[in-house]
Amino acid sequence: IKLISDAGYQGEITSVSTACHQIEVFSRVLRTSISSFLEGGEEAIEKNLQEFTKMVCHGEHTYLYSQVLMHILAQEPKGGFNIKRLCQELQKCANEKGLEITPITMALSGAAAYPRACQALSSMLSRQALNPADITVLYKMYSEADPPPVDLIRVPSFLNLLIDTLFRPPSRVNPDHKSKYMYLLAYAASVVDILKKGGRKSVNKEELKPTIQALEKTQSLCTENKASSELIADVGTLFQCLKFPVVSMGVLKWVDHTVSEPSYFKLNTDHTPIHLVLVDEIATNHILLHQKALDLLIRLFEGSYEELDVLVRLELKKKLLDRMVHLFSGGCVIPVVSYIRKCQDTQDTDISLIRYFVTEVLDVIAPPYTSDFIHLFLPLIENKDITGSIKSEDGTDPVSEFIVHCKTNYIVN
Amino acid sequence: MAAGDTALWLHNKLGSTDDLWSGRTICSQLSQERLQSIQECFHTLQPHVKVKLLLAFLHMPRRNTEQWKADLEEILSMAENDSDPWVTMVAEMLRMYPSTGTVNLDLDEVSGTFADVITDLKKMMKKSLETRMLPLECQFVNRSALNSIAGHSAQPIKHFTLKRKPKSATLKRELLQKSNEVSNNRKNN
Repeated sequence: IKLISDAGYQGEITSVSTACHQIEVFSRVLRTSISSFLEGGEEAIEKNLQEFTKMVCHGEHTYLYSQVLMHILAQEPKGGFNIKRLCQELQKCANEKGLEITPITMALSGAAAYPRACQALSSMLSRQALNPADITVLYKMYSEADPPPVDLIRVPSFLNLLIDTLFRPPSRVNPDHKSKYMYLLAYAASVVDILKKGGRKSVNKEELKPTIQALEKTQSLCTENKASSELIADVGTLFQCLKFPVVSMGVLKWVDHTVSEPSYFKLNTDHTPIHLVLVDEIATNHILLHQKALDLLIRLFEGSYEELDVLVRLELKKKLLDRMVHLFSGGCVIPVVSYIRKCQDTQDTDISLIRYFVTEVLDVIAPPYTSDFIHLFLPLIENKDITGSIKSEDGTDPVSEFIVHCKTNYIVN
Repeated sequence: MAAGDTALWLHNKLGSTDDLWSGRTICSQLSQERLQSIQECFHTLQPHVKVKLLLAFLHMPRRNTEQWKADLEEILSMAENDSDPWVTMVAEMLRMYPSTGTVNLDLDEVSGTFADVITDLKKMMKKSLETRMLPLECQFVNRSALNSIAGHSAQPIKHFTLKRKPKSATLKRELLQKSNEVSNNRKNN
């Protein structure tokens, strides 16, 4: 195996235990894998993460070694954040496998310099649950004049726990402590440590107060358990608050929970439910939340809704497709069209719905197009089952015009 | 406990090669005497048992690591001179752990391969500055904090020209209008 590795054929070493046995071989396989993520980006995470996790999590020693190596790379000022993401994806997968990785995460985070904060965080992270005592410790430290670095609490799993506790109904936070939860969440979302020569020069808290206020307003609206008709008056306020990414994350969590109630769409059939319009607004404001919003819409789109009449069900799915077209028009192009292509390929979606999506898209787009988009979209357009009925004989319809435009201006296979 | 018994105990606890995450299972049974006994039998242990034993240190309560610092460091220094490269590497990574609670990141001298991989990947990172796999906390943070984490973002690719806004725009307009009416009515009443 070492000879194969020495000769540079890391890709040939496919057995995990073989790759992990010798540290030299493991290091090289690790190098090959990390390079492939650096080349492939988000798509590579989607495709290769599972296999990568299997190798890294083979043993606690391989996990520690990989995290140490990547931690060093993540400190690089240029592009280090790409590697940091990989570290986090691995942490997430290891957690899901039930592996106890918190001590390694904490030992690498620099939290040791703040033993009290470190202890409070570790206890919550390893139990995956928040508690008022540990939150109070952190709250006190972060309200003092010389707070610990913000990075210590800017940890995705901790932020997710805060969002979950505050926004997933029914929120059961003790009212005496609620403001501390919100303070810490807003602190992590808004404060910037200004660094100079490796040390901290100052702490910029300018956005802390408005972020807390937006969180407070939204959280109280979300927990009042109002019906859609009562919420209407608050839409303006909600839209203002959604400009803060952390508020949008909370609202997405709340919407997800609210619309997943079995009776939700049964009770909201006459218009587009207000909660879905909030998803539109989140997509408009935050490119980084596009995928999360799309994931939610896909889950809703794939729901069976057997309690609804067939036609009502189709109408609901069209409303969900309108949301996807909204995401598409806001720049989430490839993921949305790829999903619809998948629906077409697996043939489990009513063809009239795919036709509806195509029509709506053609209605809003104009050239110039990228070739990536054309290659993904053209097969939907050229499928006679989808577009046959919306083409006119004289070729002046949007479908024919799109095909002609592509054939004239692009090399299409 | 005699060194032979300690070795047997460790083998029973950590001998399995199926579960390579089991180091922490011995934490609650460690004591200063046992750590001293381990020092005597350390050289007789199988490499994977040694590795798991060292990793158990990470799971000990902090007060214990501080209290037994000298014994833990003694075991780590024996492991640093081990003939098995994994044992040496794990010991080097944990070298400062008992005293500082942190992992040693200065490993270039320990392993040439480690140093080479770091150098290669740093070059690779410079070549792939276009890649944007943003850390997960970026989804939560305001723009100024985002810039401090990942620099200014590049413009997203424009796959087409938007000739008109989709239906959602009308819906938003109508909803805001309705919202205004309702809240004005509320104020008036």
